[in-house]
Amino acid sequence: MMLRENISMAFSSMAGNRLRTFLSLLGIMIGVASVVAILNLGRSVSESISQSFEIGGLDTVSIMPRGSARETMIFTEEFAYSLMNEVDGIREVLPVVSSAANIRNGQEIYEGASIQGVTSGYFASNALELQDGEFFDAAANINRRQVAVIGSALASELFPGSSAVGKYVSVFRRQAKSFFVIGVLSDKEAAQGSSYDYSLFMPYNTYVQRFRRTDQVGTYIVKTADGYDATEIADSIERYLNEIAGSDYYRIFSPATIKEMADSVMSTFSAFLAAIAAISLVVGGIGIMNIMLVSVVERTGEIGIRKALGATPGAIRSQFLVESVTLSLSGGLLGLLIGSAISYAAVSAAGWTLHLSLGAVAISLLFSLAIGVFFGWYPAAKAARLAPMEALARE
Amino acid sequence: MKAAIELVDVSRLYVVGDTVVRALDRVSLSIEEHSFTAIMGPSGSGKSTLMSLIGCLDVPTEGRILIDGEDTSGMDEEELAYIRNRKIGFVFQHFSLLPKLNALDNAALPLLYAGVGQRERRERAADMLERVGLKDRMRHRPSELSGGQKQRVAIARALVNDPSILLADEPTGALDSVTGHEVMELFHRLNEEGHTIVFVTHDRSLAEECGRIVPIRDGRIDDAT
Repeated sequence: MMLRENISMAFSSMAGNRLRTFLSLLGIMIGVASVVAILNLGRSVSESISQSFEIGGLDTVSIMPRGSARETMIFTEEFAYSLMNEVDGIREVLPVVSSAANIRNGQEIYEGASIQGVTSGYFASNALELQDGEFFDAAANINRRQVAVIGSALASELFPGSSAVGKYVSVFRRQAKSFFVIGVLSDKEAAQGSSYDYSLFMPYNTYVQRFRRTDQVGTYIVKTADGYDATEIADSIERYLNEIAGSDYYRIFSPATIKEMADSVMSTFSAFLAAIAAISLVVGGIGIMNIMLVSVVERTGEIGIRKALGATPGAIRSQFLVESVTLSLSGGLLGLLIGSAISYAAVSAAGWTLHLSLGAVAISLLFSLAIGVFFGWYPAAKAARLAPMEALARE
Repeated sequence: MKAAIELVDVSRLYVVGDTVVRALDRVSLSIEEHSFTAIMGPSGSGKSTLMSLIGCLDVPTEGRILIDGEDTSGMDEEELAYIRNRKIGFVFQHFSLLPKLNALDNAALPLLYAGVGQRERRERAADMLERVGLKDRMRHRPSELSGGQKQRVAIARALVNDPSILLADEPTGALDSVTGHEVMELFHRLNEEGHTIVFVTHDRSLAEECGRIVPIRDGRIDDAT
């Protein structure tokens, strides 16, 4: 009932002493601004890390058998099919073999390109697109044809100013082999470490026959089905592999798992920083308590008058409590604006996108409310306890 | 006649350092409804203590005080606040208006604590200001009013919640004699309208305007007739 009156009284008393009001808000304002800025920055950094993992494919789990696994004879091309049968939620398993090689066209030579043997499904799975020519199909794989699809950067290194499609390139790895270029990829942002733009793709079986003396697969790229969590599938695969082979024989890698770790590190880190910044909130709260105590002393006469007119101790207490909450919430709102502005400026300077943390908004408002109540309680109780006669005498 | 205020063997002791000061010493007093009573005594006589006890701003160390037949001894702060709000209207020597509120909001203040809604508060306070002759000064703050006008706002405030008793502590003490007389006339008019008025003063000529004088000296009533 009296809340509206109390709030309007609070604002009029704050407006009556602007500089003092501002100075007593300052602590809460700085505290909330730093908490908000830290949480917003944390979330923005974390989102930008996530985005770099999303390029790598959050639906992807890579299994890399170690050289020592050859004796187990497990990691063959057929293993791709048994993995799909044994673990739920896998859309497809793409075996990949790769190594570094030098590639030449006449006088043009590119050293240290990545050559990769892949099945025909690889291109669609990794959302690769052509700027020229075509992909190889399953038949090319079965027939071990010496055809190649090359990355955009590799094409322009080897064929400056002309089209690579329909030309031959030589691939040097122990000995030179000639490949007929049938397609050139469009530019594609690289996932962690592996650049599509400087790669040469050939049919899986062609690679195995021409460059490899073992039938052990280099990497299995596991694509998870829609609605499945890649980190859980990575865990299931790990359990299955430990059962049939043992953890010494392979490595497993999934952007989703790493993202999860990065997220957790990032959120722990920003929570830690925010907790340090929250100390300034406590300092701000003490500032509010201080000013409220001064205010109670200054307005002892007013309290006496109000009591003489029939204000109960509860009415006086709520008046001062509402005033301290109004004070600290105003500080909190200003801090929220300033903190958001700071994080916006910092994020823009670093070239990320700003992701506002709703948690920061909620925390800052709840905290300022709680500080107003907690640090306003004692001064308000003190005002409520004043004996009417003594308070009037000090008017 | 029924007693509006009744004091039975009331004492008020203060402890100052090591000594006990007996500000009021076993005072018994009955003030009738619709009467106009002056409590008169020099400063330090205990008249202000008596006034704050009657006004429930303070509680006696010993004895009982009945307001409108209701025994206030043993009441807690909430109940005393209720009595102050509903039964007693205060007029102080130095007006005791809140400087940030205009005349209307000052006069309406007791109604806020009586739980009356804003619209009704303003209407009733405006009526009361009109009755004390301040119709055209409602939006002025105390600093924009003369002493006499401030005291009229204070009287309007004292009357706004329709209390049975009006307690005035040297209400003309801060006013010049002309204005003081106007305020006294207002009190007389209110008494004729049926309000019980208790008036604290050290000024014998003012006291003699009242229907009854209660002289007080050294914490005792000299002659309660």
